Amino acid sequence: MLDAAMSAFVIMLDPGRLAILLTGVLIGLAIGAIPGLGGVIGLAMLLPFTVGMDPHSAFALLLGLGSVVTTSDTLPAILFGVPGTGGAAATVMDGLAMSKKGEARRALGASYSAALLGGLFGALFLGVSIPVLRPMMLRVGSPEMLMFCVFGLAMVSVLSGDAPLRGLVSAGIGVMLSLIGSDPMSGILRWSFDKTYLFEGLPIVPVTLGIFAIVEMADFAIARAPIAGNIKYGAQDSTWAGIKNTLSNWWLVVRCSGLGAILGAMPGIGGSIIDWIAYGHAAQTVKNPENFGKGDVRGIIAVDCAVNAKEGGALVPTIAFGIPGSVSMTILLGAFVMHGLVPGPEMLTTHLDFTYSLIWSVAFANIFAVAILLLFSNLFAKVALIRAGILVPCVLAIVFVGAFAGSHNWGDIYVLIIFGLVSWFMKRFDWPRPPLILGFVLGGIIERYLFVSVNRFGMSWVERPVVIIVFVLILVAFCKPLLSNIRSLRHGQYSLNWGRPLIDYSAIFSLFIISVIAAALFMSLEWPYAAKVIPLSIGIPTLILAFASLLIQVFFVHKPENDTLLDDNRTIGDLDPKEMTKRAAVYFGWCALFIVMAKIAGFLPSIFLFLFLYIKFQGKESWKAATAISLGMVFFCWIVFDQLIHIPWPQALIGSVFPALMFFTSF
Amino acid sequence: MKKLLVMSLSCIVMFFMLTSSPSLGAASPETFYKGKIVRLVVGSAPGGGYDFNARILARHLGKHIPGKPKIVVQNMPGAGSVVAANYVYGIAPKDGTVIGTVQRGIPNSQLLGEKGVQFDAPKFNWIGSISRDAAITATWHTSAAKTIQDAMKSEVIVGASGATSDNSIFPKIFNNVLGTKFKIVYGYQGSAEILLAMERGEVEGYNGWTWASVPQLRPHWLKEKKINILLQVAMAKAEELPDVPLAIDLAKDEEGRQMMKFISMVMSMARPFLAPPGLPPERANALRTAFQATMKDPAFLAEAEKLKVEVSPVTGVEIQKLIGEAFAMPKSVVQRIKTAIKN
Repeated sequence: MLDAAMSAFVIMLDPGRLAILLTGVLIGLAIGAIPGLGGVIGLAMLLPFTVGMDPHSAFALLLGLGSVVTTSDTLPAILFGVPGTGGAAATVMDGLAMSKKGEARRALGASYSAALLGGLFGALFLGVSIPVLRPMMLRVGSPEMLMFCVFGLAMVSVLSGDAPLRGLVSAGIGVMLSLIGSDPMSGILRWSFDKTYLFEGLPIVPVTLGIFAIVEMADFAIARAPIAGNIKYGAQDSTWAGIKNTLSNWWLVVRCSGLGAILGAMPGIGGSIIDWIAYGHAAQTVKNPENFGKGDVRGIIAVDCAVNAKEGGALVPTIAFGIPGSVSMTILLGAFVMHGLVPGPEMLTTHLDFTYSLIWSVAFANIFAVAILLLFSNLFAKVALIRAGILVPCVLAIVFVGAFAGSHNWGDIYVLIIFGLVSWFMKRFDWPRPPLILGFVLGGIIERYLFVSVNRFGMSWVERPVVIIVFVLILVAFCKPLLSNIRSLRHGQYSLNWGRPLIDYSAIFSLFIISVIAAALFMSLEWPYAAKVIPLSIGIPTLILAFASLLIQVFFVHKPENDTLLDDNRTIGDLDPKEMTKRAAVYFGWCALFIVMAKIAGFLPSIFLFLFLYIKFQGKESWKAATAISLGMVFFCWIVFDQLIHIPWPQALIGSVFPALMFFTSF
Repeated sequence: MKKLLVMSLSCIVMFFMLTSSPSLGAASPETFYKGKIVRLVVGSAPGGGYDFNARILARHLGKHIPGKPKIVVQNMPGAGSVVAANYVYGIAPKDGTVIGTVQRGIPNSQLLGEKGVQFDAPKFNWIGSISRDAAITATWHTSAAKTIQDAMKSEVIVGASGATSDNSIFPKIFNNVLGTKFKIVYGYQGSAEILLAMERGEVEGYNGWTWASVPQLRPHWLKEKKINILLQVAMAKAEELPDVPLAIDLAKDEEGRQMMKFISMVMSMARPFLAPPGLPPERANALRTAFQATMKDPAFLAEAEKLKVEVSPVTGVEIQKLIGEAFAMPKSVVQRIKTAIKN
């Protein structure tokens, strides 16, 4: 085994190959940093280029790209609260908070070094587990996978911060949202209102971007200040400080990387789940976790090493069984076939040296990526100083296009805005958002594994040893934070308020949530049993808890000690509520304007118009600045999204009225 | 005054020029396609089998179309490629600048009355299919069901993804027509998960497995005799499987045969390409001819060989005929299929 590893090392050191690897890395970094794109698009485009190459080089290119997308996706997450891919959502929590405190460089330094260590760990994990790969995977059946996913869901209790009831409701809603679409067992369409867009479920990209990007940009637009507020850049903030933080938390790094690698090896559990599990685990296990969500660098470290370790882990089932451990691995499988390599026992015996060159590719890719990012991190950190009038429209433009990459449908944009609006209210009224995402990514998977487990094993699936062990872990992970939250709530100030129930906008929002859940449940009653069993089992408790939350809110006056996780309202701070509402309305009005413009004049032209108008009239910048920035952004979007990726833009009104203009595909 | 008249006249002329559809007129295919871009709309996400095949075709088809247009692939996933089919049928321009590829079961989706269908399959201009294929039913070597007759005697647990996938539709039809005892376990994400479940012993078998993908993904299973192949679904036996019974042949009566034919027919258009209805006939023919020429193009064949893509072409005319036959099936057969699937 060792000589296979060494000979692969020597093969990889070939300068030509390293150059190819570097190319993949550069493209991968760019893709990761642009929200909405995912590694899959890049891989699909690069695949044909690898036809003529030898297998080692081909995979150097592909893995160079695939391994680093989750390294650079934290860049927009930390700098402006927009996750580059689903795996960076949890990084937004503490990353953005640190940027607001003027600590962007430290955050970036911590993020990259954690990513590097995680990526190397993942590669190591893969290399070491080769002998036990196949037997290990054969032991894990659907019931075990089910329990792992439920364990992930148990993280909800940690992620709810000081609002345990609402966190649970949020998670319940997330689960119900994930069930939209065709039910696996009966084929019945659940909650899809006959829209083909929803037949395969809500696409995750616009949902994530709506929940995070739209909301964070809203708050910057409202605050009208750059991300770093008015904090001067102290000499305190340095990338090196972040790196030191990571190194001093080495035990956390080891644990979370291990978690990431092992979870990454399970098909179906991707970056968008692993980040929250790692975050939840860190919040539960470190000393003094009070600052999590407010700029605790450990929040970044835990997440980024786990998510990067997952790429190495995801290679495990891909190589051992030909089961893609993640979405990107599906393409890699195609590449295997192309080069005549069959995933399976051969890869671990006859082709062992090739397998090791894969591992080295992952390792080198991570090293290159972090080196490049660190070189430029000072430059990146300056983004936190850009004025809101310029930053907000630019980010919004990319977010709109990126959301469209979800399923190339107007529905993506509507989903983006709807989720953005509702999540903004959630943030204002202290409803935690992370459980919503967690429920959303895990709900569908849990339902499927549950169906398989019950249909195949009857009820005896609960008696399997691993199932029981994980169940106990789940109870602990779930109840401990919940109980301590409830206890601390009791210590807060509570006074009964029978005489004058407090009915304010917050209560109205809660009522809105309750009615939506109730309506959804009502619709589900007429479905066949198999289709409604999970929606009802989750939905009814959710409804009850939501109701309980409303009652407590209305009849008790409670002063919470801390903000709920991520919902730190410090960006807006002491703004007068009326003024804040006005500015929020203006912000969402601009979003709506973009949609109207895009419908009439086409996507790309609207980006230009939108940017120009916003920067000039809302941001109050100069004509020159507005024109230059708008032109630059449109050009960039045109190159990347139209020329490289060939996104099918929807037909605009102007194109139907003047067909001759259709030469420009954006019309 | 004169200036005003000239200006308004030129405005009117411009208006008519701009609003006139460029697709009218008897431009020959060569003149029409010169310098244009043809969009190939793929009804699935990037990275999957249909997408892969589409991109290979896109690299070679252009040079065989008169005028040599550039071909650009665009993904339009959703509803099992019903979204893409709807788009090509009703929304895309009907001038030959948009073609598409959809999942092979699209005509059946319409016949079975699936929701969301807004197209009429026989009306498409079918261009051709890169391959025809067989879908096998396989069981793990430890299963008691080594032949299809065994499957009729005792329960065989098979994995499936969802109620609308072949891997659950096929066993339901087999149970109905042949009296087999397939017990379907739903919830697996796709073939990869089901195959792993077979190795684990969680399920015994898998239906609707595309034969072309077997030597790509699991050649050692064939070599080491790890699976039994119970039957194949296709219009004709695959070359490498002369001894595996054909589903159509196993049916005992005429209605059963028709039902088996229903699911077998789409296997003959395993990777179908189509164009919108209402295309000017010369352009539709140009596309079909170009497709056939590409299937014989040595460069295309060489790349297909390297990428292990199966090439066993089917012409557009043949596909059109098959679909015509499917839609001519007696209503009672379609009804019986619908009932069998609903169960």
